Amino acid sequence: MRTLPLVPAVILMAVFLLGPIIWSLVGSLTNAALTGRAAADPQWVGLANYAALLADPVFPKSVGLTVVFTLVSAVLAQTFLGLGLAVAMTRASAGLGAVVATVVVAAWILPELVAAFVAYAFFSQDGTLNQLLGVLGLEGPNWLFSFPMIAVIFANIWRGTAFSMMIYQAALNEVPQEITEAAMLDGANGAKRLVYVTLPMIRQTITTTLMLITLQTLSVFTLIWVMTAGGPGNDSATLPIYAFTEAFRFGNIGYGTAIATVMLAVGAVFSVVYIRALRVPRERAA
Amino acid sequence: MSARVTPGLPVAPVRARRSVASPSKRTVAAFANASLVLVALCFALPLAWLVFAAFDADSTYQTRLPTELTLDNFTAVLTPELTFVPMWNSLVISVSTAVLTVVLALLAAYPLSRYQARFNRPFMYIVLFGTCLPITAIMVPVYALFVALHLLDSIPGTVAFLAASSLPVAIYLAKNFMDAVPLELEEAAWMDGASAMRALRTIVAPLMRPGIAVISIYVFFAAWGNFFVPFILLLSPSRQPAAISIYSFFGQYGTVAYGQLAAFSLIYAVPVITLYVLVARGIGGSFALAGAVKG
Amino acid sequence: MRTTTRLGVATLALGSLLGVAGCTSDVDDGTAVLKVTYIKTDAFTALDTLFTNVKTEFEATHDGVTVELLPVAGTDDDYATKLALSHRSAETAPDVFYEDTMALRADVEAGFLLNLDSYVADWDDWAQFDDAAKAAGAGDDGSIYAVSLGTDTRAIWYRTSVFEAAGIEVPWEPRSWQDILDAAAAISASQPGVVPFNLYAGTATGEGSNMQGFYQLLYGTELGADALYDSATSKWVTGSAGFIESLEFIDTLYREGYALSVAEALDGNIWQQVFGTMFPEGTLGATVEGSYTPSFWIDGGSFEWPEYAKEMATVAFPTQHGQAPGGVSMSGGWTLAVGAQSAHPELAFEFLTMALNFENSLAYVNENSQIAVRADVAADPSYTAANPFVGAVTELVSVTNFRPATAEYNQISVEVQKATEAVITGSLTPREAAAAYDAAVEAIVGPDRVITQG
Repeated sequence: MRTLPLVPAVILMAVFLLGPIIWSLVGSLTNAALTGRAAADPQWVGLANYAALLADPVFPKSVGLTVVFTLVSAVLAQTFLGLGLAVAMTRASAGLGAVVATVVVAAWILPELVAAFVAYAFFSQDGTLNQLLGVLGLEGPNWLFSFPMIAVIFANIWRGTAFSMMIYQAALNEVPQEITEAAMLDGANGAKRLVYVTLPMIRQTITTTLMLITLQTLSVFTLIWVMTAGGPGNDSATLPIYAFTEAFRFGNIGYGTAIATVMLAVGAVFSVVYIRALRVPRERAA
Repeated sequence: MSARVTPGLPVAPVRARRSVASPSKRTVAAFANASLVLVALCFALPLAWLVFAAFDADSTYQTRLPTELTLDNFTAVLTPELTFVPMWNSLVISVSTAVLTVVLALLAAYPLSRYQARFNRPFMYIVLFGTCLPITAIMVPVYALFVALHLLDSIPGTVAFLAASSLPVAIYLAKNFMDAVPLELEEAAWMDGASAMRALRTIVAPLMRPGIAVISIYVFFAAWGNFFVPFILLLSPSRQPAAISIYSFFGQYGTVAYGQLAAFSLIYAVPVITLYVLVARGIGGSFALAGAVKG
Repeated sequence: MRTTTRLGVATLALGSLLGVAGCTSDVDDGTAVLKVTYIKTDAFTALDTLFTNVKTEFEATHDGVTVELLPVAGTDDDYATKLALSHRSAETAPDVFYEDTMALRADVEAGFLLNLDSYVADWDDWAQFDDAAKAAGAGDDGSIYAVSLGTDTRAIWYRTSVFEAAGIEVPWEPRSWQDILDAAAAISASQPGVVPFNLYAGTATGEGSNMQGFYQLLYGTELGADALYDSATSKWVTGSAGFIESLEFIDTLYREGYALSVAEALDGNIWQQVFGTMFPEGTLGATVEGSYTPSFWIDGGSFEWPEYAKEMATVAFPTQHGQAPGGVSMSGGWTLAVGAQSAHPELAFEFLTMALNFENSLAYVNENSQIAVRADVAADPSYTAANPFVGAVTELVSVTNFRPATAEYNQISVEVQKATEAVITGSLTPREAAAAYDAAVEAIVGPDRVITQG
């Protein structure tokens, strides 16, 4: 009786989230296709799709690209840049801080599709980046074609940094000023204070943010799809792009589902780590 | 944790800090200012292209002040089939998703926040797990599911899926916000014979208005900006949201009509920007949004 | 208790919200809705014109029938995906739709198309269609599933002024692949800003990349018409020297800078620039394209260019060493079909016949520069006079090839596209790309359906 209010939400999540997850596991064991005989009558193929994945040279490449994309654009850049910006704003003049925050947040507010167009324009052969290099007397390459991963990684940093910056700003604001000032009196310089006093105090926030942006970045699709569509060849085909292309462009639904299932497994591993990281303070609070 | 890093430190506040700013502190500030300006420039540059190109009669992918200011790019894309119908669809989809999600999340959060039950903790873990689900990974099976349920090309179906995918985060946030509302007020209401649902509606919900705003905005943004879900689930042009319309426009004219693409992008982005600015004013800046997600 | 009631209502409301989804049309009160799906882009509007006219005509003669036009804006690949997605459920499946002959057999196997045998039997105009056109609409079982809108051939289209400036005699008559390379080298040397000879490759331009690219080479190698699929044994060919040599030719074209830059070749909309700017501005020497090429330049076309008739010329693509039959062409074409899940198959077929009757066919074939498949249309004076190249491209029917008419063809096509993309991007050598193709084909059709021509 008391739990009744939970029911509508549980039904909706069971049908549209749990259902597809189970479907994903089952579908990856068939040769379901968009057209042809297998579309009308999909056959059970056991683990054949997974065996094919292991033999497919594109798969390890795609996994590698996904790892690089996530590690560099989310874990390294967004965390350091976001934290760096948040810290710098505590030191910089207030007016400037507000302006910078607005600019950084603006990139984040834009719908992902618009952000992707803007990044496409920026990195294209005749785009703004090469215009700038031209001013310096350099002739820039066609970034989207010659260095597709660099382009999409920078685009994702540009778009995603605001999120971690805002969270770190909020967290830094909560660090009691007494503590940092006390450390200052003790003779610790700025860098030391940051590393030994401030950062440990917001460790929890860092872990949480790290996990959140990792998972967000893992499933980025639109940004890459618009900028490079995974190309040239498969040079920027991360797992979401690869799964989409195989399933909907080439019609191999079963194979695409197998790739998606691998992504789900990766996401699940991260989730477990994330939940473990969150557990400590929740128990303390309870 | 704090005991480990601050052993034996005096905790008296230092008052005269500003007036005796040391040279090194000023150097730090200058360095911070300089690096902030640099980063801001890098972040602003791509945005500048968007704004300039939209008003430029003769735009390219390069960033420059418009040689000739014009609104032609806007009038060219402001047609029913390109902009108005898709924008209306976006609005219908995003508002419905936000309302449905918030209502269901509040209902679900109530027992989780108010009653101690054995399943609360595991349920919250499942919810947390749900927040981590990469939605792009389940689109292939979601498509198959929609075929089986005869929901393809249906706006209500798409709304239901978008709501389901936002629910884990929404429930998590709603429970946190609700935990902050003191129980005493409701107990008084219960004494007066009000049902739990009545207490939720008349007492708890009004008190967590800022929280509800945060959740609504979060869900609205996610639905408004979502491209992949409607791309797979909606087929007829008359039902597609702006994200799809603008994507096919890019596919056809992206390498020709730069100015119109930029204008179209701006039109599509304006509602979320406006909403963000309004909400940020109303509930104390971006901190509220970020703080809510922080957990 | 009140709580329960209210929640019940909420759940019901949610349920009905989901439930109302599908049911859009078809209440049995004498009214009917026909859904018609096709491609419409800024550069391809001929079909939209056709259907808009037929809709008016059809609704005027059929009381209570509404024709709902559902054009898809996108590339051929986007269209194929959207069409296949829509066929998966009866609510979204179209009644009448535009179908590529290439996807036809696979879609028949998937059960998307209605068997039209009994319908065409009672259709007087059916006798006007030539045998090749009838075969183009047949499934693996020999039944008719679709009716041809028109066919096409492919040839080299070149800009005479660019060739003359390079000192090449016009009309140009290449006899072998080497002649193409020689001409490209001459253009490259004399006019640095001009792309000498384009041949599409890669996955971005989809099936067009094969039809206006790789197949022109492959079908002109030693195995000729059986280079991709051995018709005698009904097996897919692997390990052939011709396949590798064709890839090597593409590799040479792109590496020497004779074709478009690789980045341009991988842009799915690049063909619009080929027609819209490169030829009219004289920055392209030649490209392989379809017989429909003039449709873009004629009065009312997407890229009107009145001078095309005297600036452009066309010639058959040569075989590898000039061996018989001396030229190569590829033919495809599109059809109209009726959805297997249509609630009103008779009405849908009637709509199809109206769209394909003499007047509408003639108008469509002329506007879209198609090769006519109806005898009465082909004989019409306005058809032969539609553009100066009708005669030349129609002649290519004598050397043309058709793609293997099998259900697995569209999967194989993707593998060919992947192979050419790997070569032009340099990720695989021609030999490696051919080996990867062989492995992929064997995985698709099984080892007993391949024949190794080492």
